[in-house]
Amino acid sequence: MTSMTSTPHTIIQPDRPTLDIGGLCKRFGSKTALHDVSLAAEPGTLTVILGPAGAGKTTTLRMIAGLDTPDAGTIALQGVDMQGVEPKDRDIAMIFDNLALYPNKTGYENIASPLLIRNIPWQEVQTRVFALAATLRISHVLKRLPKTMSGGERQRVALGRALIRTPRLFLLDEPLSSLDAKLRIELRAELKRLQREHGHTFVLATPDFHEAMAIADTVIMLREGRVVQKATPQQLYDAPADRDVALFVGAPQVNLVTAQYQPDTGCMQAMGARLVVPDHLVRVLNGMPGEFELGIRPENLALAPPDSADIRCRLLDVEPLGLKSVLTVHNDHGQLRLFVDSVVAGGLHNGQEVGLNLLHTGKMLAFDPHSGRNMAL
Amino acid sequence: MLTKRLSLVQAVLMAMALVVVLFPVFWILMTAIKPPTDWNASPAIWFPSQPTLINFKTLFDPAAIREYGVGGVSQAATDAVFGSILASVTATAISVAIGLFSAIGISRYGNGSKSTPLVILSGRMFPPAAIAVPFVIMFSTIGLIDSFTGLIAIYVAVTLPFSTWMIKSFVDDLPREIEEAAMMDGRSRIGAHLTVTIPLIKGGLFATTMFVFILNWSEFMFALVLSYTNVSTIPVQLAKYVTATAGTLYGVQAALAVLAMVPLVIVGYLIQSHLARGMTFGAIKQ
Repeated sequence: MTSMTSTPHTIIQPDRPTLDIGGLCKRFGSKTALHDVSLAAEPGTLTVILGPAGAGKTTTLRMIAGLDTPDAGTIALQGVDMQGVEPKDRDIAMIFDNLALYPNKTGYENIASPLLIRNIPWQEVQTRVFALAATLRISHVLKRLPKTMSGGERQRVALGRALIRTPRLFLLDEPLSSLDAKLRIELRAELKRLQREHGHTFVLATPDFHEAMAIADTVIMLREGRVVQKATPQQLYDAPADRDVALFVGAPQVNLVTAQYQPDTGCMQAMGARLVVPDHLVRVLNGMPGEFELGIRPENLALAPPDSADIRCRLLDVEPLGLKSVLTVHNDHGQLRLFVDSVVAGGLHNGQEVGLNLLHTGKMLAFDPHSGRNMAL
Repeated sequence: MLTKRLSLVQAVLMAMALVVVLFPVFWILMTAIKPPTDWNASPAIWFPSQPTLINFKTLFDPAAIREYGVGGVSQAATDAVFGSILASVTATAISVAIGLFSAIGISRYGNGSKSTPLVILSGRMFPPAAIAVPFVIMFSTIGLIDSFTGLIAIYVAVTLPFSTWMIKSFVDDLPREIEEAAMMDGRSRIGAHLTVTIPLIKGGLFATTMFVFILNWSEFMFALVLSYTNVSTIPVQLAKYVTATAGTLYGVQAALAVLAMVPLVIVGYLIQSHLARGMTFGAIKQ
């Protein structure tokens, strides 16, 4: 490890991205954990690294923090290269996926520890810890040890330990996993509010696309150690880079059916029906006849009388979700899922013939049948 | 704590096991307070009719036993007791200190080779008898024979694999994220180990210290072959109570054995309360 001659704090360049990663590679033995990962986070933004388990999210965060060393690539904070800089000198706060509270210290001592290490006068420490604890609504656990706290309280103490100071970057590794659904939604809104109010820069890793959609300014989609897509949440949903991203983002998953393009008629054959190819796909398919994979989000299908519908199917299953229900329908050519009002779904029975109409055809997706790439991108 | 009630069969088996284990202890305790006439009387005398402390007195005043008409030994046990304390305490402290840092090194930074810990352990695979003689020759050459420095060096070398492995198991159990959290909070690596790792494994550290102390305290082979006159330890002294003139001084031997047991009983009692795991409960999400 090279020694650091000048502290990184002396040459801050405020116009540079808070975080700028280029060409990051990491191998663990024979397994490639990260391959050529590049990403940037602008000051005051919330960047979400989204990906399934094993995608390399934690590895990326650990290397940004300086806890692991990359095999290749650069990590710069505010324009300053971080190679050889110890974690403590990077001015980064991190929340670990397992929280890693100090088990032998009280809630107060846990939250105060970054300040106490920096020899901040105890009066100021006390004022700041009490104020933050009130914000996080954990004033009642300050005198208690982590083992006596509930999961949500521990999560907030870990949050407090990070938020007690104002580092240039916050790294949050699945900070809301293992909380129950209600608490998770409540806390993620709180996280977003705290981040926005104070203009913090957050990089948050999560496997939960709902979470990413709800709080991210920018989503970095990571898969098998590679960046698959960088986009806003809405872009990620509307224009996924490939079939797997489309499947990962959205519940129920996007419907994928094989379609046959017929350039002479401007139509395609899919699900045993002849469908008009929307304008944005006509350009993409480029007059070439052939097969492609058609992606239709469940919300872009609607029930219609079978006789006048675009597609005719039989009802396979109804999954009530409260206000809406998810219908699964099928015919000889495939299977589709769609949302309908639960009131409507209540009047249906399995095996019944139903018709489907396409809505918002401008949101149809076309994927290359071999590579899975989104043909419209 | 034993909270489960034992069945009758279990209780009987347990009682039998206890008799087997505790009978020698009982016999030593009784022999230590028997006058010479009772030591190896036949039939055996279970409880001495006239308990005496003469055996203990003889440990520190070798001539005292002569009032019973029995020959003594020339050397008091004082030096041996002092020697045992010096060698065991010093060697234990050094062994645990080095073991602590090698354990943290192997557990946290040992990505060089998986065989390193095994190589360290292989030192324990040699029977002491196999390496005792080479050590006698080497130590004679470099002037370490019959010195506490030499004995302590050997004790450290012999117990180091033990302390390294035992402490390593405690460090392995500690989630490294707790140390890394301290680094993110502003500690250096070494600072994180000093303020987080060591306080959180102190129970294990204490238990290791006690075990290593027991190993050193009861060591016989090296103490025997590496000492002549300057250095003596209790196990070596025990062997000296076999004399040509008076036969074996069973009672005196037993008295020294009882003295030697005292620290072990205390240590053993302290270990069990410190071996409790679960120190980190609440630190991480389960």
